Amino acid sequence: MERIRNFSIIAHIDHGKSTLADRFIQYCGGLADREMSEQVLDSMDLERERGITIKAQSVSLKYKAKDGYTYQLNLIDTPGHVDFSYEVSRSLAACEGALLIVDASQGVEAQSVANCYTAIDLGLEIIPALNKIDLPSADPDRVSAEIEEVIGIDASDPLLVSAKTGEGVEDVLEAIVHRFLPPTGSFDAPLKALIVDSWFDNYVGVITLVRVIDGVIKPKQKITAMSSDRSYQVDKVGVFTPKRTETEVLTAGQVGYVICGIKDITVAKVGDTYTSTSHPAEQALEGFKEVQPNVFAGVFPVSSDDYESFRDALAKLRLNDSAFTYEPESSDALGFGFRCGFLGMLHMEIVQERLEREYGLDLITTAPTVVHEVHTTDGKVSYIHNPSDLPSSSHLKEIHEPIIHASILVPHEYVGNVITLCIEKRGTQKSLTYHGNQVSLVFELPLSEVVLDFFDKLKSVSRGYASFDYYQSHFAVAPLVRLDVLINTERVDALSVIVHSDKAQFYGRDLAVKMKEIIPRQMYDVAIQAAIGSKVIARTTTKALRKNVTAKCYGGDITRKKKLLEKQKAGKKRMKQIGKVEIPQEAFLAVLRVDKK
Amino acid sequence: MLEVPLSLYVHIPWCIKKCPYCDFNSHELRSPLPEDQYIDALIADLQQQANIVSGREIVSIFFGGGTPSLFSAKNIQRLLISIEAHLSLASDAEITIEANPGTFDQQNFAGFRNAGVNRISIGVQSFSNDQLKELGRIHDAQTAIDAITAAKSAGFENINIDLMYALPKQTTQQAADDVEQAIKLDPTHISYYQLTIEPNTRFYQHPPNLPNSESSWDMQQHGVALLAQHGFQQYEVSAYAKNEFTCIHNTNYWQFGDYLGIGAGAHQKLSHVTSGEILRSDKPKHPQQYMQQALKQEPLATPRVLQQDDLVFEFLLNALRLKQGFNRQQFEQRTGLMYELLTTQLQHLCEEGLLLVETDRVQFSENGYRFLDELLQRVLPESA
Repeated sequence: MERIRNFSIIAHIDHGKSTLADRFIQYCGGLADREMSEQVLDSMDLERERGITIKAQSVSLKYKAKDGYTYQLNLIDTPGHVDFSYEVSRSLAACEGALLIVDASQGVEAQSVANCYTAIDLGLEIIPALNKIDLPSADPDRVSAEIEEVIGIDASDPLLVSAKTGEGVEDVLEAIVHRFLPPTGSFDAPLKALIVDSWFDNYVGVITLVRVIDGVIKPKQKITAMSSDRSYQVDKVGVFTPKRTETEVLTAGQVGYVICGIKDITVAKVGDTYTSTSHPAEQALEGFKEVQPNVFAGVFPVSSDDYESFRDALAKLRLNDSAFTYEPESSDALGFGFRCGFLGMLHMEIVQERLEREYGLDLITTAPTVVHEVHTTDGKVSYIHNPSDLPSSSHLKEIHEPIIHASILVPHEYVGNVITLCIEKRGTQKSLTYHGNQVSLVFELPLSEVVLDFFDKLKSVSRGYASFDYYQSHFAVAPLVRLDVLINTERVDALSVIVHSDKAQFYGRDLAVKMKEIIPRQMYDVAIQAAIGSKVIARTTTKALRKNVTAKCYGGDITRKKKLLEKQKAGKKRMKQIGKVEIPQEAFLAVLRVDKK
Repeated sequence: MLEVPLSLYVHIPWCIKKCPYCDFNSHELRSPLPEDQYIDALIADLQQQANIVSGREIVSIFFGGGTPSLFSAKNIQRLLISIEAHLSLASDAEITIEANPGTFDQQNFAGFRNAGVNRISIGVQSFSNDQLKELGRIHDAQTAIDAITAAKSAGFENINIDLMYALPKQTTQQAADDVEQAIKLDPTHISYYQLTIEPNTRFYQHPPNLPNSESSWDMQQHGVALLAQHGFQQYEVSAYAKNEFTCIHNTNYWQFGDYLGIGAGAHQKLSHVTSGEILRSDKPKHPQQYMQQALKQEPLATPRVLQQDDLVFEFLLNALRLKQGFNRQQFEQRTGLMYELLTTQLQHLCEEGLLLVETDRVQFSENGYRFLDELLQRVLPESA
């Protein structure tokens, strides 16, 4: 155990985490050069494209240190986005130390700060390292001062690295060996293993990545997942080098995988504890919680013929993603589909993209909405995931909306803009602290305002410099109303949104204008109305098309004409027929584009 | 015995200058016109196919292009003689030639007429010099007027004027002026069609500033009214004729009749005499390649059999362009399919008020006529 180091890397997107991890693997001979596909750790295509890590991964490396001993370095990768803060905390809980990687040409970002605080809370040792020192714009002194001020850890002697050129990589490995503590724990105590991640493999079922805290885990042993209280016999254990490599046993202090015939990922949730069925631990490891989705959207197949395959795809996706939920929903406008729950907007985008890409489905997604706590006159409280489920106003007493605690880090020159934005988004300022050039702002904001376009706005008012992290804190009462959209006087359920009453008027008007722009002219006039209850607050009309007929057509070449019509038809296929009106998919997301300025 | 009417189309693929809106198979003349050689090739093409249509009467011939009037009357005559030798031409066959006012020649017009051509279609497009320039035409308004006068002096009684509207920066008044000018010249037929931007044209790459859909709609409404006032009845989307001078050749296309097509890139559609299958084919597009192959007696095209779905679609695409639509007998004879099969398919369009579907006839409702392409998209067969 003396020769094991378990650690994570905390870094903002693009600050070079994956490149550095690749260097470690190369340095320790984990893979031959030809096996090093671009970046090994981000194994999903989507991750590679977006430069972020969605699933946690791990790699066990053998490092021969300068002291002559060989150490087992277990790097536990963490998801790199605000939507996945719980997963990050579980990855960190499996470590004794964390490397804080900061781009020496840029500086500290809010998300890294938040993750550092989590690591500090969990008692981890943090080693700051400045990456990209080969860049001419690198400014190590400024950035280390910023680390000290913003995060409050000693950064007077940071490691200087260029993951790109390889400079300083060995120093980092040495620091990992000498500055991080070895794990503690007892081989003889009853088994306690923290589930850091789990995913579904088509051949072996669920694979869980664990950190063994106490005891040992080996094939044939019976283990129990403590929160779900389900027991399984272990088939295989092993480590990732990064290739999956079977071992005889995983012992206290080690990180590795366990395969034990689990078919359903929900019984081996991130944060849960495995223990021995015959000699169980008295208590599970601390910190387990059920992750609850925060953002909901209706997702419908464009063609109703795809419903079955859509349902299968959701089930498969769920095998790998226990944070994602879905339940059947039917919409008058969009037919049969599912109301899906996501951790946040990025999570939603990822799921949607995977469904379209990996399963070849054509989907319509409605505007995302948050969970509302609804108090009715009969004293009952319920939680609704869909604006359409809002009870009629006569039964409605109060609507409460989820509020988040948002931490924003921004250079001082943009702080005014950011505050203006937060106030526009109905935020309440909680604190404002100067750290040199950086300002740390804490706001309470309604989640619904953040869900729509907050990220983009924040980036634009700060020229991309502001960074953001949040957690959901509580529900608060607010004067909310449901805004409906009527197309040719028919309410389109999938277009309803819940908005603040002060903003409803403007919102409705803007939405009606946007819809007019989006709905193409067709053979009939299309009346678009925005209404609250029975009161119409805005109206626009998409005027009827004058004609749609090819001017000249003489026998001859019909194939060209046909291709043109096919193209037009294909465009319409992606539209949804509501009554006689064809509505393009963008219309269902128009709410997102309503500019509340 | 099949009674589907048969026409003959002859393609002449050269122009002095390619117009920026034109997506037809036409090539700018960069070397002397290989007139004799091309006529030889057309005759060879004809000979290849004569036996497929033997015994069937040709109701019309159309020399299209390109600019057929670039060819000498002598050569057109040579071809017509050969056509008569290989095919049976109806005594009252309509024989049309397209002419560009920019290249007209009184003598040649008379020569065409003497050779047996009895209809001339003059590509005027506009009587505004500014517009003509914008459209890249090589003639001006006066030349256009002169060409029509010349056609009349040459003995043509059946004259069509091609006129476009919704031209770059055109006003409704200007469009109406063009129509009035055309009417004044007293042709028998006017093709009044909207300028549209097609892929693979210069306008597609550099779009001109066109009137919006409201103005072009006004132009059309206005034009239709003016034409009607002067006895030009609309019988197809863009075709207007005086006193039964409807174009037999084009009407045959629209009624899904058969046609042979000879010349570079020419398309043809023929019903198989015994099987009733409909076969489409097209000739090599490039003039040089076409001539080489034709003169070497190589086969020029491989026919494709139309599938049932396509058949219905293509029939409607053509037949519904006609104001009067089509009747049961036409549909069944031209497609070999049952009329009821079609009417069931069209029922929902009927309910929407686009179409009038009767026991014996299908035609557009007054409102539906404007939306042919919408309708066609709905009956378009699912592509693979």
